[in-house]
Amino acid sequence: MKKSTLIAIAGVATLSLALQGCSSTSNDSGSGAGSTDGAGKTLTVMMQANGIYPDEQKQWFSDISAEFKKETGAEVVFETFASSAEELTKIQTSVTSGQGPDIYSLGTTFTPTAAATGAFVTLTDKEWDLVGGRDRFVPATLQMSGASESTEVGIPFSSRPFVMSYNTELLSAAGIDKPATTWDEFASQAKKLTSGDVYGISLAYADGFDPWKFIWAMSVQAGNPILDGKTARLDDPVTLKAYETYFGWLTKDQVVDPQSVSWKSSQAIAAFSEGKAAYLPMATGTSKVTLDNSSVAGKYAYAVMPTIPPGSTTLPSDGKAATSIISGDNIVVANYSENQELAFALVKLLTSDSVQQDRFTLFGELPTSQDAAAKVQTDNPELEALIKSSAQSVGTPFSGAWGDTQNELVNVVTQTLPSLSSGSVNQGDLKSLLGSAQDVAQTALDKVR
Amino acid sequence: MTQIQEIPADRLAADETESLGKKILSGDPKIRQLGRSPAERNRPLWMLLPGGILMVVIIVIPLLLAFFIAMLDLDQYTLKDWASAPFIGLGNFVEAVSKTNLLHAIGVSVSYAAIVTIVTLPIGVLAALATQNRFRGRAFVRSVFLIPYVLPAFVVGTVWSTMFQSGGVVDSFLASIGIQHEGLWLNGPQSYWVLVLVQIWSSWPFVYLLVLAGLQAVENEVHEASALDGAGWWIKLRFVIFPYLRGPVTLALIISFLHNVNSFTLPFVLFGVPAPKDVEVLPILTYVTSFQSSRFGLGAAMAVFSLVLILIPLFVYLKAVRLDSGDDKKVSKK
Repeated sequence: MKKSTLIAIAGVATLSLALQGCSSTSNDSGSGAGSTDGAGKTLTVMMQANGIYPDEQKQWFSDISAEFKKETGAEVVFETFASSAEELTKIQTSVTSGQGPDIYSLGTTFTPTAAATGAFVTLTDKEWDLVGGRDRFVPATLQMSGASESTEVGIPFSSRPFVMSYNTELLSAAGIDKPATTWDEFASQAKKLTSGDVYGISLAYADGFDPWKFIWAMSVQAGNPILDGKTARLDDPVTLKAYETYFGWLTKDQVVDPQSVSWKSSQAIAAFSEGKAAYLPMATGTSKVTLDNSSVAGKYAYAVMPTIPPGSTTLPSDGKAATSIISGDNIVVANYSENQELAFALVKLLTSDSVQQDRFTLFGELPTSQDAAAKVQTDNPELEALIKSSAQSVGTPFSGAWGDTQNELVNVVTQTLPSLSSGSVNQGDLKSLLGSAQDVAQTALDKVR
Repeated sequence: MTQIQEIPADRLAADETESLGKKILSGDPKIRQLGRSPAERNRPLWMLLPGGILMVVIIVIPLLLAFFIAMLDLDQYTLKDWASAPFIGLGNFVEAVSKTNLLHAIGVSVSYAAIVTIVTLPIGVLAALATQNRFRGRAFVRSVFLIPYVLPAFVVGTVWSTMFQSGGVVDSFLASIGIQHEGLWLNGPQSYWVLVLVQIWSSWPFVYLLVLAGLQAVENEVHEASALDGAGWWIKLRFVIFPYLRGPVTLALIISFLHNVNSFTLPFVLFGVPAPKDVEVLPILTYVTSFQSSRFGLGAAMAVFSLVLILIPLFVYLKAVRLDSGDDKKVSKK
């Protein structure tokens, strides 16, 4: 054989060995799946880094690890991600390579996108039993577990329903005795509340997430679920109306600080906490810590957001009185995990009443287990609005196309910001933006399998 | 291969060439060795193997995979078993051109990269010339010049985006000198110029570095000779120094153009996603398509377009420095 051929063969051999090395590791490790005796095993859990309570989160991680080690002998390693984009990339690489974290905590609206990869264990009675039963959870929170009861992948882990906070002093000074329940009333109250450098509403037009939640809520209340079976309905008149209302607070009603065209969510919270705004819509219970340490401490309260769509005084017959999206986190277990039973044992611990109550005390997140939720409710009457909103939340469409749809809803706002900052939004421009958003969403919907 | 046979043809007599040619064709190993120039004989080419394998694994295979993926309908539904995703030929390329903002994104990327490259060139050259002669504190000034370049793009983007907030540092500065700024910096038509400005700020030191290196290559004798000949500063710069800089400057132009076309972090951090239309550059569009919409096939097709885009200047450059052919050898022999 010629020398050059030999070299070539040697090269190919080395290469294929190297490539095999990459692919085979996932099959070698762990053989004892099937018992919850976890001695010598390690579970990896991927969870969103808590920006508000980083130290408490670290402590919580080590407490859970210690407790689980005591129960099963297994080690738990927590990894964190900073953004959902980072998490998506992590899931994508894990899905293709078949190795990675055993357990992920996923945001509820992100669960459909992740579930579409088919990388997570579908929950049958057996899995639900392993975590202590499906009926243990607050029913509303289960809406984002799967497209249907037989295809559920997510176990509800925490609930962060959206509400609005309002400045009690400003409202009573303006002679308003209770917060608005329709969006029209909301706007007219905001007008009364605006004077000088104090505005009726604090908004974050430039935020990557906030805007679509308004559009979604107003659309759903007016009877448009945005994704309606196999049809995308972003170009529906009620959705256009939602955008016009949302932008109109600045351009027509002038009840929003013009600076908020470039604000992110944290800046909107800051303005409210300085007493510069009467209403802070799209807030969660986690804002409590910021507000309690600010100049509005003791001068604010939470209320559910309006549930009657703009232009109406009663809920339309096909509308849903959605107070919030189903918001919070689900836990999923990876298909490729070698230690699935052990993983479900950990999920049982994470969703247990005591851990759920701890998470409320530590991070302000509402429990998803019924008993823990009831306990929190009795102990904290001031959180009535949050608990009411949690129960009246409506799930966003559980479709692999939702991610694209959500991006497009935000994109319409992003591309409108220049004209919003100049003080007027042209309806024709808005319609054409919604038209292209509609096309993208429909394309995404057509690809759903 | 043809060149190896051409070179001995110059040197050997015509009849020898003919018989040698036959032997070469017959594959006589001794003759094949003889046919090479002395420097080429017995070269341990096998020592290239480790590097070669590494290049195949790190560059060639992923590149071929990218071409392959660009022809698959690969998305979140098919990701798990990606190799069996439906093969759709050029479908992704057609969709990228006809249904996405690809052409717009290419326009934004190329135009802004060109503007930045053209503007950074004189700044870099001037800065290098200014720090060429010794003066007190020169080392300090040189280090300060490098700060924008060594700062991570993430930091640069974060700081500038804070400065360009509505009512931020930039707006207050403009107000203090009597200019009332209307509208947004980080969205709308002005965002394009913000991107140009920030990219210029962070990338001119690269040109400066390369020009500085070029200036070091100018021998002292050259300076002395031109001084003796009575050349003024401009004549000396134009006809003595600049010719020395042609190589480094070409290199700087091309590398900084490629760098700007490929720049992802800076626009991503400055403007976030979804990106305002005026600053929707190609890398951002590719990222969003692949990793937010999970359209990996379509994203790979966009990546292939961007590869073609950067191959053009790269090809021009390789031609210019003749790294791609054996021409340099011929030139040196003449």
